[in-house]
Amino acid sequence: MNGSWTRRRSDRAVVAALASAALLLPLGWFWGRSLVPDTYSVMGMGYVDHGGGSAARHEAHALGWDGPPAQPGNVPVTELAGPAEGRPDVEVTLVARQETVTLATGETVEGFTLNHASPGPAIRAEQGDLVQVTLINESVARGTTLHWHGVDVPNAEDGVAGITQDAVALGDSHLYRFVAEDAGTYWYHSHQVSHVQVRDGLFGALVVDPPSAPAEVDVVAAVHTYQGLRTVGGATGETRVDVEPGTPVRVRVVNTDDGPLDAQVVGAAFRVLAVDGRDVVGSADVSDRSVRVPAGGRADLGVVGPPAGSAVRVQLGDRAGPSLVLGRAGAGAPPAEELHPRLDLLSYGSPAPLGFDPETVDRRFEYSIGRRPGFVDGIPGLQWSINGQLFPDVPMFVVEEGDVVRMTLENHSGQLHPMHLHGHHAVVLSRNGVTASGSPWWVDSLDVESGESYEVAFVADNPGIWADHCHKLPHAAEGLIAHVAYAGVSTPFRIGGPAGNEPD
Amino acid sequence: MRSTYRVLAFLVAACVAVQAAAIAMGFFGIIHEMEDGGAITSSYDWEGNLGVMIHRYNGSLIALLVIALLVVSFFTRAPGAVRWAAALFGLVLLQFALLFPAFAVGPTWGGLHGLNALLILGTALQAGRRITRVQSDERVLDTAPV
Repeated sequence: MNGSWTRRRSDRAVVAALASAALLLPLGWFWGRSLVPDTYSVMGMGYVDHGGGSAARHEAHALGWDGPPAQPGNVPVTELAGPAEGRPDVEVTLVARQETVTLATGETVEGFTLNHASPGPAIRAEQGDLVQVTLINESVARGTTLHWHGVDVPNAEDGVAGITQDAVALGDSHLYRFVAEDAGTYWYHSHQVSHVQVRDGLFGALVVDPPSAPAEVDVVAAVHTYQGLRTVGGATGETRVDVEPGTPVRVRVVNTDDGPLDAQVVGAAFRVLAVDGRDVVGSADVSDRSVRVPAGGRADLGVVGPPAGSAVRVQLGDRAGPSLVLGRAGAGAPPAEELHPRLDLLSYGSPAPLGFDPETVDRRFEYSIGRRPGFVDGIPGLQWSINGQLFPDVPMFVVEEGDVVRMTLENHSGQLHPMHLHGHHAVVLSRNGVTASGSPWWVDSLDVESGESYEVAFVADNPGIWADHCHKLPHAAEGLIAHVAYAGVSTPFRIGGPAGNEPD
Repeated sequence: MRSTYRVLAFLVAACVAVQAAAIAMGFFGIIHEMEDGGAITSSYDWEGNLGVMIHRYNGSLIALLVIALLVVSFFTRAPGAVRWAAALFGLVLLQFALLFPAFAVGPTWGGLHGLNALLILGTALQAGRRITRVQSDERVLDTAPV
């Protein structure tokens, strides 16, 4: 009797141990798998996706966190640089500091500045100019970089810490040199701990004018929220712009925030002249419409100076947002209004040749964003997934120079994701199966709402290793980031490491 | 094992109380920021909101505690110990699952997240109390005259 009691007791212990193991082992396995080393190469992350190209999908990871060993003939990203020789047409020195930011309207917030200002100086170049920017890090403790958002620069100039350069340490400097090939509205911002540094002020606008700039008033409207203060050009509330009646005005709206920006014009019709630095073909006047600018995106709005005695309001955000008032000094502007229905860029403007055939496809990728519980680097939570897997098991989209690439961007995560591809502009082919019918809609920053699916295409014409991530920057820091890599390109830089590279 | 079980169960209950306090604190923090002229946008700095941060990390702590409780329950010889721990585990899973529609579909689901918290609290208290009762019953047996 005693024996059977002991047996029952030991059976019980075995069952308890097995049940514990059944619970803890999978959890431990998922936890362990999620851990990311202190330093690694992005080339060693996740899995390779050839998009139906030559090789089948395999774990890059299998080659270790250093990625595939360098092959003879590989091109390091450092060689994919802008012109080393030649006198720059535009030469700017930007000194990054961690300090109190005084806004144009006098409010102060703690953050980051470039040349003691935030936004940093607006850089203006003419198409074809050689731009040279010296970044000096005077006091940004964790290091910093500059990324030229929307400018399809050579890879070494892209400013992503740990991929195209090391973060510029305290007291160090870095030289960026590139030719401003495409006219348009762009911006620059830090790509080191970007979810903090951009939010707290480390950015500025960059405008590339066409060689024969039209006679118009040109206004840069960089919209940013500083610790709850909503600003345009660093100023809260209304900013007046003196405009003669009948003068065309180009308002270059730059959304430097993490969320979408709805811009609208009150008191006049307007047109969308350009999106993400690419002209809209056949843009027509619209009124009582708002234009959605994704986080990181830009839209150039065309407005005509109102008749004497009146003014027009360019409203940036809902009624509580900042605005520009265009007109002669003293003229009253109509009050801000509720947001109008959104203009759909899918059917705005007139169709025009793309310059390539999106039907002759070399690679086809899927970038499907979801959300599920799991661990990312050992931290449990409700995580973003890419194609069903969590960071760092994200795809490395491999392309070759000259490929026509189609990508399906799909979002079933429950939240909006403004997706930003570095180094390229992609054209929107369709949304939720509805074919684009307006002007070619070229983007570098595209809002993909939950439940939406976009088909985009681009030509792989800029070799390098390019981030393709959510520009709601905290999401990128949480792992919503993948990369497009050209075959045969390698990077000597590493995430983490002595430079403390932390791009997002 | 019973003492460990009891401590873990009551700790879960205490952490649920902290969760309620933290999220209320976080919400009032947002109201204060708004009243001070701040705009709450997608760029909102959640890390600057102490209440919300406590809620986020304490939530993960509750998950860990409940996993530990379930493991301990397997080794605890008391009627219903596993059942109550498993119920608690299931409710906490549901609590995390409710986050998805709360973010994606609508705030009503967030309300269910709040109601489910009360179920978690009640279940944790009940699990702790039951084991306390089993313990004191045994103490009575131990000291009873033969």
